[in-house]
Amino acid sequence: MKSEVLATVPEEIRLRRNKSLIFLVLFILLIFFFILDIVLGSVSIRPADIFRAFFERTDSEIETIIFKFRLPKALTALAAGIALSLSGLQMQTLFRNPMAGPYVLGVSSGASLGVALVILGFSAQFVPGSFPRLGNWVLVVSAWLGAGAVMMLIMFLSSKIRDIMTILIIGIMLASGISAIVSIMQYFSNETMLKAYVIWTMGSLGNLSAGQLQVLLLTVAAGMILSLASVKMLNALLLGENYAVSIGLNLRLSRIVIFTCTSILAGSVTAFCGPIGFIGIAVPHITRNLFRTSDHRILVPGTIIAGGVVMLISDIISQLPGSVNILPVNSVTSLIGIPVVLWIILRNKRDTGSF
Amino acid sequence: MEKNETKILILDNLSIGYAKGKHSAELLPPLSTSSNGSELIAVIGRNGIGKSTLLRTIAGLQPSLGGEVILNGKNISEYSRIVLARKIGYISTEVIKVNNMRVSDLVALGRFPHTNWLGTIDNSGRLAIENAIARAGLTSLRARNISELSDGERQKAMIARVLAQDAELMIMDEPTAFLDIASKYEIISLMRELTRDGKTIIFSTHDFNIAVNQADKIWLILENNLIEGAPEDLMLSGAFEHLFESSIVQFSSGDGNFSFLRESRGSIFVRGEGLIRKWTERALIREGYQLSSSITNPYIHITDDTDQKWLLTSDDKTESFNSIYELIRVLQK
Repeated sequence: MKSEVLATVPEEIRLRRNKSLIFLVLFILLIFFFILDIVLGSVSIRPADIFRAFFERTDSEIETIIFKFRLPKALTALAAGIALSLSGLQMQTLFRNPMAGPYVLGVSSGASLGVALVILGFSAQFVPGSFPRLGNWVLVVSAWLGAGAVMMLIMFLSSKIRDIMTILIIGIMLASGISAIVSIMQYFSNETMLKAYVIWTMGSLGNLSAGQLQVLLLTVAAGMILSLASVKMLNALLLGENYAVSIGLNLRLSRIVIFTCTSILAGSVTAFCGPIGFIGIAVPHITRNLFRTSDHRILVPGTIIAGGVVMLISDIISQLPGSVNILPVNSVTSLIGIPVVLWIILRNKRDTGSF
Repeated sequence: MEKNETKILILDNLSIGYAKGKHSAELLPPLSTSSNGSELIAVIGRNGIGKSTLLRTIAGLQPSLGGEVILNGKNISEYSRIVLARKIGYISTEVIKVNNMRVSDLVALGRFPHTNWLGTIDNSGRLAIENAIARAGLTSLRARNISELSDGERQKAMIARVLAQDAELMIMDEPTAFLDIASKYEIISLMRELTRDGKTIIFSTHDFNIAVNQADKIWLILENNLIEGAPEDLMLSGAFEHLFESSIVQFSSGDGNFSFLRESRGSIFVRGEGLIRKWTERALIREGYQLSSSITNPYIHITDDTDQKWLLTSDDKTESFNSIYELIRVLQK
């Protein structure tokens, strides 16, 4: 028996080495695009300026641009990419649906509704930035609750309906329904509230205050730590709920952990950056195909890095290097994500496999 | 009481079914039975009688409506989910559809109840996985994606997963459904071997022949009770005849075969020897004839002549045939 075990070891080592190499390349790409994201923009900055800005305090104009605008924006892109991709991965495994993601299932819309309720329903006082600390937390918590409510609704429906496409259509209906509710709320709200809300909906990666960035980074970090606790659960859930329970999974606990995690991740990003589509669906699939595995011990860290890379690339494209114009980042992510989604649909027609 | 301690599994007045609000819909009257361990138990009963529900209840995947499932002297509800998973493995007919999951990954998931919070597999775990893969005969397929396996290979992979789980009791819901005959017998023989290694396997099946020929024990579920025993015991007691009460099929406890209740075509005499005679008689029985021990009109004579093996004599006319098929075609007229 022992010799048989040893015979398989070289193959295992080769696969593991392959995976380490992919991790290394992804990580280098992450650093490269992070620096590139800071370097490129309407004012050109040399990479050397970045290092100088960090090590010698010169109070130059370039230093202001780096610390006040470029660095926060790059950090926001990184956090948003990580959060959306990770929540997408968790949803896809939890719902056993390759098309799941915070945007398509209406979870981002749920977060928007939470924000709309706070801004339009209660007071314009909670407009981002107006209440330096508390306001941001109220905003983000309401987004979590909105996202969590939609998650629970989808979970309930998934237990009744097995068909992937039906769930997807329901997600789209939910998103439409929520935007209708928000429209009605806008109709009845006063001018200040409306203005505050419209500004929020146009939110992008670059409009976060220092306080907001701090809240975003904190919550995304919390979500990442929680996602590590979900790794083993997600692996079991690949087998479907029946088998997962039969190998010893505590289904209720795992749902609570994964729900909390995705709601925090998707909710926080939506609260500060507005709805950003397709990253959540696309990145987990890119990661699965890169690593050729279904093991979440690799997929979770892989998705974290790949999500950061894809979002940084989207941000670089959105600021149209060399011009003063900035595209909405949501349209860039859609253009990147939609081909991936189409590919999944076409592949699903051929294959029986769901991931 | 002393006797019970040797039993690994006891079902004590177990009531199964689904609780619907305040009403509970019991599928069957309370069941009581047990297993001594290291045996292959086949659960048979007509469609929809509750075989799957019974198996799910024993596996602890579904609460019972009353009574107890006692595993190693303790009610299964007293075990934590994770401890229970180290004792009971479960395979249903549900097919796992995951791309990018290799056979070894699937088998590794069987280690779930033995690993830490991150699911890290240690050396003893790795050894258990490799042993399970080898035991199920999947060594050459270990790196294959599960979506590329045949039905039989996939079932072996599922069995390997449960082996890696290291549970002494394995519950399998129709493990041979969807399989072709060769894979069916491969799976069953693997299951038999595992029970000789000390596992206890309880499986449901619609395949009466497999149950009767391969199982050590049968749990026959009827509308009003559960009858247990070696297949041969149940044959002798005539228990199977209750299972197959039907106007068109008759079960014979004599040879353990089914036959259709057809209008009799009268009796016929066959003269001949050996295997060729046996199969000729089978064909005649299929056609509704009774075999006679004295000469009849018509009667059949099996000869050694290769060109005209079968001779059919009726009213002093004799026809010759080269195959049973031709013979039967003429008799049908």
